[in-house]
Amino acid sequence: MKKLLSILFLIGFICLGNAKVITVGKNSAIKKIKKALEIASDGDTIIVDGGYYSEGNIRIDKKVTFIGKNYPILDGKHKVEVLSVNADYVTVKGFKIINSGHASLEDPCGIKVYDQKNVVIENNILDNNFFGIYLQNSTNCIIRNNNLRAYGKGEQLIGNGIHCWKSNNLKIIGNKIMGHRDGIYFEFVTESLIQKNISNNNIRYGLHFMFSNDDSYVGNVFKGNGAGVAVMFTKNVKMINNHFEQNWGDSAYGLLLKEISDSYIFKNTFSKNTSGIYMEGTSRIKVEKNVFSANGWGMKIQASCMDNVITQNNFLGNTFDISTNGSLVLNTFNSNYWDKYEGYDLNRDNVGDVPYHPLSLFAVLTENTPSAMLLFRSFMITLLDKSEKVLPSITPENFVDKTPLMHSLPL
Amino acid sequence: MGKYLFFVMALLLSACGSNGPEEIKLNSDHCDFCKMTISNGKFGAELITQKGRVYKFDDLLCMISYAKTNTTVPYKSHYVGDYTKENKLIPAEKCFYVKGGIIKSPMGGNFAAFTNSKEQNEFQQKYNAVSMTWSEVYSSIK
Repeated sequence: MKKLLSILFLIGFICLGNAKVITVGKNSAIKKIKKALEIASDGDTIIVDGGYYSEGNIRIDKKVTFIGKNYPILDGKHKVEVLSVNADYVTVKGFKIINSGHASLEDPCGIKVYDQKNVVIENNILDNNFFGIYLQNSTNCIIRNNNLRAYGKGEQLIGNGIHCWKSNNLKIIGNKIMGHRDGIYFEFVTESLIQKNISNNNIRYGLHFMFSNDDSYVGNVFKGNGAGVAVMFTKNVKMINNHFEQNWGDSAYGLLLKEISDSYIFKNTFSKNTSGIYMEGTSRIKVEKNVFSANGWGMKIQASCMDNVITQNNFLGNTFDISTNGSLVLNTFNSNYWDKYEGYDLNRDNVGDVPYHPLSLFAVLTENTPSAMLLFRSFMITLLDKSEKVLPSITPENFVDKTPLMHSLPL
Repeated sequence: MGKYLFFVMALLLSACGSNGPEEIKLNSDHCDFCKMTISNGKFGAELITQKGRVYKFDDLLCMISYAKTNTTVPYKSHYVGDYTKENKLIPAEKCFYVKGGIIKSPMGGNFAAFTNSKEQNEFQQKYNAVSMTWSEVYSSIK
């Protein structure tokens, strides 16, 4: 064993000994990045000085560490993909990458990784690219602390900020993404982590999952996007400690769940969204210790959902707490705090003695006939709503929280 | 005066539900099947019922799946996005289709629609895809 270790060390030293550092810049012998890549070999470090470089598509096909000093600008001039990574163990760090080409099918990117392992992309600024960072068929890659910005408008076609396709074991950490179509898009990506990113003001979604199982996203902020996050056709996703804020609009949601199962939604904040969570075809999900505040609808749970558990959440100041579109209820609501609850607690165990029906008559009516909203807060409707609470006739009777909390949970 | 008259006429016409398709508002309208926001007009689709209700979709796959699972109301017309334009709807029955190759649509239907067979051939070769007719497209989705 010791022998093996020492041999490994030896190999390591030999490799280190051979590794060169190549400097590119105005004052260096090498003025072009492409030239540096040509003479580099595996294990080398290329340091690029600040300045402006426009060399068309730059292709990294050796295992190099590629470092920018004072954010050198790589300009794609709206024509080409700027950086293509075609080798594993590549690090790209400290560049400002601007103006990639625009197209609808070829997806030109700021940085694209093709079928590689162990690539690190960190501390870069990406500005006005079609797609920002694109990982395709890649494993074990890290995308960290990048700042991505695009200027997508309604009409113009625009790509995603961080787009991952058919990859696994990725870590997407601490990035800031603005103005793209989707901030982060996961398609067929498994066992990956999305953490501490800020994905604001994107045209479609802050984060979008399609067919991506066994992933987690933790501690992210999704604010002011077309809709917050969409998780679709996916299993086993953990959603913890995220903020879903101000996702307003006709078809906007804080979190859209469609055909998803076996997932966990824990300690998130949903505030000022049209709907906090919208679920359809969703099963075996636990929604625990979240705060729903000042949304139009706290949660919309379609009748196609089953075996979901909604427990220990705070519902504060939503126009409607819950809404549904059918009479079938296969979900459980237990021990939540509802600020609209008007029951009492005689035995002082902090649990309301009267069950709470979170569905308002009006929420159910507008689900099928949206224009009925016109009558909201009219006297008749308020009256009907009150009587419906006592004697449910239109709203499903078993849609009930039997142990509503008297005080909000400290979340 | 003529301008105003035209404006009023246009308003009246749009109010009584003309026969044409209703424009998809990109990044604002959502797909009535998959609930996603429609952001790419090239792959958009629209369905109009006999009574004139309009349903919008982000993918041809969504429209056909929707049409096949909701059969209680008869449909009047189907529309799809013209692939060569940004956001223009054309009658689905008269289109020429290609599928697959490197075409990637939002929900994985991967169909592109064209107004004439010349464009169809051109893109079929360019994208390494398969040519199809409307009835083939319709029956290929269960």
